Amino acid sequence: MSKRRSSSGSSRRNFLKSAGLVSAAAAVAPPVAVTAAPAAPQPELKAAVPGPTQTAVETLSPSNDPVNQTSSGGDFMADVLNSLGIEYMAINCASSYRGLHEAVINHSNNKPEIITCVHEDIAVHMAQGYAKIEGKPMAMACHGVVGLQHATMAMYNAWCDRVPVLVFGGNIMEADKRGPGAEWLHAGVDIGQIVREFTKWDDQPASLTHFAESTVRAYKIATTPPMGPVFIALDAELQENPIPDAENLRVPKFAPVIPPQGDSGAIAEAAKMLVEAQNPIILCDRAARTPAGMANLVALAEALQCGVIDNAGRMNFPSRHPLNQSFRRAMIGQADVILALEMNDLWGTLTHFSDRIVRRSSPGTKPGAKLITLGSRDLFLKSNYQDFGRWQDTDLDIAGDAEASLPALTEAVKRLTDDGRKAAFEARGKKLAAAHLAMVEQSKTDATIGWDASPISTARMCAEVYAQIKDEDWSVVGTSIKLTWPHRLWNFTKPYQWNGGSGGAGIGYNLPASLGAALANKKYGRFTVSFGGDGDFMFNPGALWTAAHHKIPILYIVQNNRAYHQEYMYLVAMAARHGRDVSKMDIGTTLKDPNIDYATVARGMGAYGEGPISDPKDLAPALTRAIAAVKSGQPAVVDVVTDPR
Amino acid sequence: MNPIKHIARIVSAVAVFSVAALAVAQAQDAPPPGDAANGKRLFIAEGCFTCHGRVGQGGAYNGPAPILANTALPFDGFKGQIRNPVNDMPAFTSANLSDKDIADIYAFVRSLPGPRSAKDIAILNN
Repeated sequence: MSKRRSSSGSSRRNFLKSAGLVSAAAAVAPPVAVTAAPAAPQPELKAAVPGPTQTAVETLSPSNDPVNQTSSGGDFMADVLNSLGIEYMAINCASSYRGLHEAVINHSNNKPEIITCVHEDIAVHMAQGYAKIEGKPMAMACHGVVGLQHATMAMYNAWCDRVPVLVFGGNIMEADKRGPGAEWLHAGVDIGQIVREFTKWDDQPASLTHFAESTVRAYKIATTPPMGPVFIALDAELQENPIPDAENLRVPKFAPVIPPQGDSGAIAEAAKMLVEAQNPIILCDRAARTPAGMANLVALAEALQCGVIDNAGRMNFPSRHPLNQSFRRAMIGQADVILALEMNDLWGTLTHFSDRIVRRSSPGTKPGAKLITLGSRDLFLKSNYQDFGRWQDTDLDIAGDAEASLPALTEAVKRLTDDGRKAAFEARGKKLAAAHLAMVEQSKTDATIGWDASPISTARMCAEVYAQIKDEDWSVVGTSIKLTWPHRLWNFTKPYQWNGGSGGAGIGYNLPASLGAALANKKYGRFTVSFGGDGDFMFNPGALWTAAHHKIPILYIVQNNRAYHQEYMYLVAMAARHGRDVSKMDIGTTLKDPNIDYATVARGMGAYGEGPISDPKDLAPALTRAIAAVKSGQPAVVDVVTDPR
Repeated sequence: MNPIKHIARIVSAVAVFSVAALAVAQAQDAPPPGDAANGKRLFIAEGCFTCHGRVGQGGAYNGPAPILANTALPFDGFKGQIRNPVNDMPAFTSANLSDKDIADIYAFVRSLPGPRSAKDIAILNN
């Protein structure tokens, strides 16, 4: 990526302007052919390198253009960002937003605090992880063309995950203000078009007032359910030039949107259906939006004494609550009323689907089961990318933010619950509690298989980590693909103890997003831990440098199965389908020969590293050492060589 | 990706797996003799471990990959699941695994230690 160079003593654009004039003059001068015989004796050339442009710059009188300024649009832009309470701005530095960058540092005393990232994908993913812990967005800034191209997949993850991120990209809107070379390569008429299909809103402000209003509007849109990333193009002239009319500028007032509650009549109808049901069940995915969300859901589940199946898009429901039935999904097929809260893949959750030669599907619900949906997701969809999933028939579709609507629904349920229903609910709750306990005991028993095996079982890996952090104020902010042992074995009770997955299943999320979450946890003194696959790690290992540089403490466990293992399994299935050689399916799917030493990679980035650890007996001592490093303020990586899943 | 959703059907899938297996296993007597050492080799080479784990601890593919360590499935049910599986497990024909190979793999997974009491492992009781 090209970075624009600064020139000392004169404005770079003025320099280019002068150079351009001289170049034009040179272009009309008679060319001197190298082979032409001189008509007259020529003075000996002292130096051949400086051409007419350089000569002109060195000999022409200085232009009358101003060379210093006392204000800049970037200062005002920084003021706008700070008015919104944005704590951090993750960046990969780039000339197209150098005006804002300098203003944030000098005008605003590094507020929002700059988080230096070595790739735009890291910066956006950090913002995604941060927002899900802190409950508000941070900013990200990048080059508007090539930097934004790097940022796109992470923005898609944030979009699918319904997470607010404020993305800013530099641009030079006016063609005559672009210097030759990279400034043309890195400019666009409409740079936001590349992310428009997976952002909630974008704009390219043409004035500072326009910037202020659009940035506040973008913040409002991003943080209104259904949340999502937004994009603002930053014109370089606006950032860098003096403010022409400071007296007319103002920072707009931001008032958070109160999330919409479901219609009161519909809520009453839902309560009636749930109270009258014999086997109701609650499905949830991204239901908890704030720390109040989990408590609201617990209150509803307890009022009904019904089971909750949590798809874990957020920290929705305590893992050891007696009504948590997340690992008893057969219950879905027995339910007569299903309440689905902020579900991402409702059809997939309610359907049996076969990934075979003939792709068949069949309902996972029993005939006649009634489905109530409550959520904001479908209030804002776009058409190209298919993250909305397959159509699901519903009986009562309530538009509204689930967390905001739950208290009214719970109260309605309580009002409708007479003594007879209350007794039935209590009996149901006792059965569910017993089933929950059996589920937990089964998980523990399953975890014993291969306890002493090498490579280390994923169950043991997770149990060893929990044994050492359970008394900390912990927050687990990432897991590798289909690693469910933490949710099966650990006691999740607090809203910040989990923050969901990538959203778009775009690989490269886990490490930087975990660091963003750790950044949010840092000021609360929480102990952040994350599990991530080795394949994911290798997309963005440079994120560890950011963690080391900014002293972001985190215990990061690399679940090192030396493969893109999901793909490995798919290839085995393809070979078996054809009756062909299965033994070569490691080609293109594994990360071995040579094995990657993640601890050494970590140390090279300035982080603490342990491993590779293959013997389970070595794991606990390595974790002890790594945890000590984390408590000293460092990021620590533990490379655990595991069995595949 | 929601980490729980796909794998969390383990219990129900194991039940389906078992029912299908039992349906196939009619009045089975003793399983055919198998070479557990060769079965171990095949378990790795033919990719069984990728879903079920090297020590048969189970795992996840699109959905659950059941525990096979010390499996209680009768041989005919085990073989039936390999030849004509339920759910998304790939089918292995004789081009990949002969009946003898399946018997060897069966001998191997039967030889694997199954679960033990979680109470004996202190850190599983946190």
